[in-house]
Amino acid sequence: MYPSPKTRLAVGLLASSLALSACGSGEDSNPTNASKTYTIGVIAPLTGDLSAIGQGIKNGVDLAIRQANAKKTIAGVTLRLNAQDDTAKADVGATVAAKLVSDQSVIGVVGPLNSSVGKSVAPVLSQANLAEISPANSAIDLTGREALASGGTQTRPYKSYFRVVASDDIQGPFAAQYAVSLGVKKIAIVHDKKAYGQGLAEAFVKEAKAKGATVLPTETVNPGDKDFSATITKLQSQGPDFLFYGGEYPEASLLTKQMKAAGLKIPLMGGDGIQAADYLKIGGAATEGDFATALGAPTDALDSAKTFVTDYAAAGFKDPIGPYGTYAFDAANAIIKALATSLDKSGQALRDAVTTAVGDSDFDGVTGKISFDDFGDTNSKVLTVYKVASGKFVAEKTDTFK
Amino acid sequence: MDLFFQQLVNGLVLGATYGLIALGYTMVYGIVQLINFAHGEIFMLGGFGALTTYLTLPAGTPAAVALPMMLMGAMVVSVTMAVLLERFAYRPLRGAPRLAPLITALGMSIALQELVRNFYPEAKSARNFPQLIDPDKRFSLGGSVTISAPSLVTIVIAVVGMVTLTLFVRRSRTGRAMQATAQDPDTARLMGIDTDRIIVTAFVLGAALAAVAGVMHGLRFGQVDFRMGFLIGIKAFTAAVLGGIGNISGAVLGGFTLGLVEVMATQYAPEPFAGGAWKDAWAFVVLIIVLVFRPSGILGERVAARA
Amino acid sequence: MSNLLTKVARQLGAGGAALVLVACFLPWATYSGFPGKMRAVTPGGARLYVMILALFGVLFLLSAPGRARALRGTSACTLTIAVLTAVFISYAGGGAGGLGIGAILAVVGGLAYLAAAWSLPADDRPAPIRVLPDRSWRTTVETLLVVAAAAAALIAFVIGLGIPTATIASGEDHLLLGAISFNDLTNESQFLSFLIFLGGASLALSRLGLVASLGALTKKHAKVMVAASLMAAVVFPFTQGGDGYSLRIAASIGVFAAAAIGLNIVVGLAGLLDLGYIAFFGVGAYFAALVSGSINSVVPVHLPFALTIVLAALVSGLFGVLLGAPTLRLRGDYLAIVTLGFGEIFRITVNNLDGSAGPSLTNGPNGISNIPDLTLPGGFSFGDNHVLFGINLPFQANYYWLEVVLVAVVMTAFLRLAESRIGRAWVAIREDEVAAAATGINTTRLKLLAFGLGAVLAGAAGSVNAHVVKIAAPDSFTFLESALLLAAVILGGMGTVHGALLGATVLYLLPEKLRFMQDLRLLVFGLVLVLIMRLRPEGLLPSKRRAREFHEPGGGGDALSAPPGRASA
Repeated sequence: MYPSPKTRLAVGLLASSLALSACGSGEDSNPTNASKTYTIGVIAPLTGDLSAIGQGIKNGVDLAIRQANAKKTIAGVTLRLNAQDDTAKADVGATVAAKLVSDQSVIGVVGPLNSSVGKSVAPVLSQANLAEISPANSAIDLTGREALASGGTQTRPYKSYFRVVASDDIQGPFAAQYAVSLGVKKIAIVHDKKAYGQGLAEAFVKEAKAKGATVLPTETVNPGDKDFSATITKLQSQGPDFLFYGGEYPEASLLTKQMKAAGLKIPLMGGDGIQAADYLKIGGAATEGDFATALGAPTDALDSAKTFVTDYAAAGFKDPIGPYGTYAFDAANAIIKALATSLDKSGQALRDAVTTAVGDSDFDGVTGKISFDDFGDTNSKVLTVYKVASGKFVAEKTDTFK
Repeated sequence: MDLFFQQLVNGLVLGATYGLIALGYTMVYGIVQLINFAHGEIFMLGGFGALTTYLTLPAGTPAAVALPMMLMGAMVVSVTMAVLLERFAYRPLRGAPRLAPLITALGMSIALQELVRNFYPEAKSARNFPQLIDPDKRFSLGGSVTISAPSLVTIVIAVVGMVTLTLFVRRSRTGRAMQATAQDPDTARLMGIDTDRIIVTAFVLGAALAAVAGVMHGLRFGQVDFRMGFLIGIKAFTAAVLGGIGNISGAVLGGFTLGLVEVMATQYAPEPFAGGAWKDAWAFVVLIIVLVFRPSGILGERVAARA
Repeated sequence: MSNLLTKVARQLGAGGAALVLVACFLPWATYSGFPGKMRAVTPGGARLYVMILALFGVLFLLSAPGRARALRGTSACTLTIAVLTAVFISYAGGGAGGLGIGAILAVVGGLAYLAAAWSLPADDRPAPIRVLPDRSWRTTVETLLVVAAAAAALIAFVIGLGIPTATIASGEDHLLLGAISFNDLTNESQFLSFLIFLGGASLALSRLGLVASLGALTKKHAKVMVAASLMAAVVFPFTQGGDGYSLRIAASIGVFAAAAIGLNIVVGLAGLLDLGYIAFFGVGAYFAALVSGSINSVVPVHLPFALTIVLAALVSGLFGVLLGAPTLRLRGDYLAIVTLGFGEIFRITVNNLDGSAGPSLTNGPNGISNIPDLTLPGGFSFGDNHVLFGINLPFQANYYWLEVVLVAVVMTAFLRLAESRIGRAWVAIREDEVAAAATGINTTRLKLLAFGLGAVLAGAAGSVNAHVVKIAAPDSFTFLESALLLAAVILGGMGTVHGALLGATVLYLLPEKLRFMQDLRLLVFGLVLVLIMRLRPEGLLPSKRRAREFHEPGGGGDALSAPPGRASA
C-alpha cells in the first residue's frame, strides 16, 4: 500500500521545515555581557565514600572563584567552576580529564584527591598542556621523585602537573624524625592500602628504621571498616608504644577511639589526611595526645587562614573544609593569578601561557608561600607537626625539611 | 594463649552483629525465597532512626530513658521501611521469575543508601552517635582478655534474640503458621493461614532485629554512616547461607562462624595473606568452600519445595 | 453526538498544535545565551523538536481519522518538552521573567493539543505493515531506506552525544545543520528535549506501523542492514570536527556494551545469575596490562596486541571454568552470592598483590598505569592523530575503531550462539532444568560453557579497555560495576544483542549528559532498576521468548525460580 497522500504531504512539509531552519542565521552569537568567561575545572570524588573530602576541595575552589568574581580581580573576565566527579576511580578520572580538555574555556584544573587517580589524570592534562594543580596528591612518582630514592636524577614526567602539598618522601621522613625524637621504642604501622596511605606509611617506615627505631610488621585495614578490634588485639600483643597511621580521618578516628578503649593507650600519628576538624569531631576525647603532620606553617598563625575559615562559613557550603579545602583554595588562586598575566592569548597558546605562569607562581596563600620547583613540587618544605590538646590541633613543631 | 582468647571474643562480637542481621535474611528467604538485598539498608536506617530520636529528645535525658526511646525509634523506622518494601516493591513481583525481585532489592538498596546520603543532614560522612553505654568500660573475662560493655551487650542481645525468635516460631500460633508457610505455602493457604500477613510478619521481625543491631552498632562505634549497611548486609547473608538458609539457629551460628573466620584470618592466616587487607577475601573463600562441599549449609536449610 | 464531539476535539487539538507551531517562531527567552537560540526567529534546538511534533499533530488531527495513540504520544512529548524547556529557561534566567511569550504560548497550545488527543477514542487496530508496490525500483528504494535508517541512527547518536563547544569564551556556538547549537552551560535541557523528542517520534512512528514496516525491511535486506550499520559506526569519527572526547566516550560505551553482551550470554541466554562478572573483565584487563610493556608492570614481556587479546580472553575463560566447575550446580541465589564473593575476592587480591601484602604482581592500589599506546607492525601507533580525506581525526578515533571491531566480533559470537543448538539447549535449561536433563542435555557441561564463554568475552573486552584508559586499577572492578553491567543487560532487554547495546549506551550516557543530576545519579539508578522491574521487567528490547516468560501467569519457570535444596522434615 502506498503511503497515503496525507502522509506524503506530512513528510514533505517536515522536510521543508527542517531545510528552512537549516538556513537559519545565527542570532545569539553576541551575548549581551561583554566579559569573557573562563573556567577552572575541578576533579575530585564528589560522590561516594570520600565525597565529604572531595566536596571540601570543590568548595575551596568555588570560594576562590566567587571572591575573584566579586572583587573583579581580573578586569573583564568572569570565572566559572566546572567540577567533575572522578568517584575516586582512575579510569573515570581519565575520562573526566578528557572532558575538561575538550572544553575550550577551561584554563586550569584543581585536583585530583587520590594519587592513584592522579596517575591517570596527569598524562591526559599534560598532553594538552592544561595546568593542573593537585591539592592532595602525595605519590612521589607524579613529579619524578622516585629516581631520587635510588640515587638517580629527577626528571619531570608531566609538564603541566603541580602540587601544593608535600610528597610522601618528605612528609613520611619528617614524621619519622619527629617520632624518633620523642624517644619511642616500638612503632606500630597501620595503613589502609590505598595509594596515599601506603605510600606515606612506607616512607615513614624507611626513615624510622634508618634512624634506629624498632618498627613492627605493618598491619592493614580496609577503607570503610568500622571494627578494628582484631587488628588492635594483634598489635597489642606486640607491645608498641606509638602508632603511625597512613590514611584518612574516617578510619583513623575510629582506630584511635577503639585503641584507647581496648587499653592500647598510645599516641596515633598520621599525615595531612587526618589533620582535619572531623578527626577531632569523630574521635572525641580519645584523640588527645595524637599527632598529625601537614605542609605549611601553622594555620592558626596566618591571618589569611583565619579569614578563609570565616569566609568559608559565610559562603554557606554544606560540607566542611576537610583536610584539603585550604590547599584547593590556594591552588585555584594560583591559576587565577596565572590567568591574569596571560589574557592577551587565546586557545592553546592561552593554556600554554597559564601553565608557564603557574610554574612561576610566587605569592602567599592561606597555607603558606605558593611557589613551585622545576618538577612541579611545591617549594615550601615547611612542615608542621600538630598535637591534639584540649580538643584542638596545636602546632608542636614547625621545621623545614632537609 | 590469651591472644587467642581475646581474638575469639573479638570474633564473637563481630559475629553477633552478623547474626542479628542474618536472622532477618533467613526468615524472609525461608518463606519467599528472596534475597532481600535491602535488608542491610534496613539495619542502617535503624541506626539513623535511633540517632534522629536521640536528637529530638531534650538534652540531659538520662540514658536509661533515652536508650529505650532510641530503640523504639529505630524499630519504627526499620519496620516501616520493611513493610513498605514488602508491600510496594516485592509483593507485586511475587509471581515473577526471581530475577525481578532480586534486581528490585538491589535497586532499593542503592536508592536507600543514596537517599540517606543526600537528604539526611550532613550524612555524607559519618554522623556521631551517642555512646550511651560507655565503650571504655571493660569487663575482664579471665587473664588479660577483656570485652567492652557495648560489645558484651551486643552478644547478649544476639543470643537473646535468637532464643526468643526460636521460641516464638516454635510455640506461638503465628510462629507455627510461619513454619507452615515456609514448608508449603499453598497448603498453608488451604489451611486458612493468611500467607500475606505471615510474610509481612517475617519482614517485620527481621527488621526489628536489624534495628536493634543498628542501634548496637551505633553504640559500639559512636557513629552511623550511610554505607554501613552494604558490606555488613552481604556478609550477613553469607552468614545465613553458611549456617543454613531458612534455619534460625543456623543464621546465628553462621554469623558467629563468619565473625570468627574474619578475626582469626586477620591474626593467624599465613603471611602475607593475613591482616585486615585480606580478611574479607577469606570470608568469601570460606563461603565458597562450604557451599561447594555442603550446599545446604552447616546446619542444613529449611526452604519450601515448589511443586 | 460523539462524532460531533470528536470533530470538535480534533479542531481544538489542531488549533492547539497550530498555536504551538506559531509559538516556535517567537522568542522563548527574554535573554540571550540559552542554547537553541531561543530569541531567534527561526527555531532551533528544543523549539525545532516541538515544531516537528506539533506539525504532526496539525496534519493528522485535521486529515486522517484515528491515529489517536500516535497523537497521544506526540502531544505528551510536545507538552513535556515545552514545560521542561520553560522551566530550564526560567531557572537559568533567574525567574519567570526570563520566559518569552513563545514559551508560554507553547505550553498553552501543548495543553490543548494533549487534551484533544487524549479525548479521542483509542484505535485498537494494529497498524498494517506497509510494503512498497512491486515495481522495478522496489529493491533499490528498499535498500536506500535501510541505509537511510542507519544514517538517521548515526545522526541521532551524534546529536545525542553532543558536539563540544568550539570557543565558548568568544561566545560562539558550534552549530550542526545551522539549527541545533550546543552550549556547555545548559546542555542538559537540550539533551533531555532531544531524548523526549526521539521517544515521541519513535512512539508515533511505531504506532503508525512504520517501525514494524522498517523491521520487516531490515530483515529482508539483513546484509544491507549490517553493512550500513557498520559503515555508520565507521563514519562516526569523521563527524567530530577533530575533537576526541566524544570518541573516547563512544569507545568506552563500546567496551561496556561488549561486556554487557557477554553477560547477556550468561544471564540472558543461559539464565545464570552472575553478580561478579566484572572480575572476568578485570582478569582480561590486568593480563593485558601486565604484558603491555608498561614500565609499571612486573612482567618484562611485551606481546603484540592480537596475541594479547586472545590470551587475555583465554585466561579469563579459564578462570570462568575454574570458578564455574564447582559452583554451577548451586541454584540461582546461591550462585549469585558466590559470584559476588568471587568478584570481591578478585578485587581484594589485585589490590593486595603489591609485594607487601602479597607477592608483587599487580602493583596494588596504584594499579598498572602508563600502559603504552598500541602499535601495529608497520609502525602505526594508536596514539597518533591522523588526517583522512582532509578531516582531522584525533587519536581516540583509532581506539574507537578497535572498539567497533570488538563489538562486531562479540555481537557475531552472540548471534551465532543464540541461533545454534547450544543456544536452544540453554533456553531449555533456563526454562526447566529437570526437563532439559531428561531430554538428554548435559546441563552441567552447557552451563559451564555459558559461564566460560561469558568470561572469554569479558576478558577480551577488558583487555581492550586497559588500552583505552591506559590503566588497570582495583577500584574499577567493584561490585557496583557488576551491578551496572547487570542493569545494562536487564534494562536493554535480556537475550538480544541490540538490547545489551541499548542498555549499555543508556546507562553510560545518561549520567554523563545529565550532569545537573550528578549527586543524585546513583539514587536515580537505583530507582530506575526498581521501576523497570515493576513496569517492564523484560527490558526495552527483549527477545520475544523472554518477554513471554516475564508475563506468564503463575510465574515463569526459569532456573532462577527453582529453590535451592529441599525442605527438611
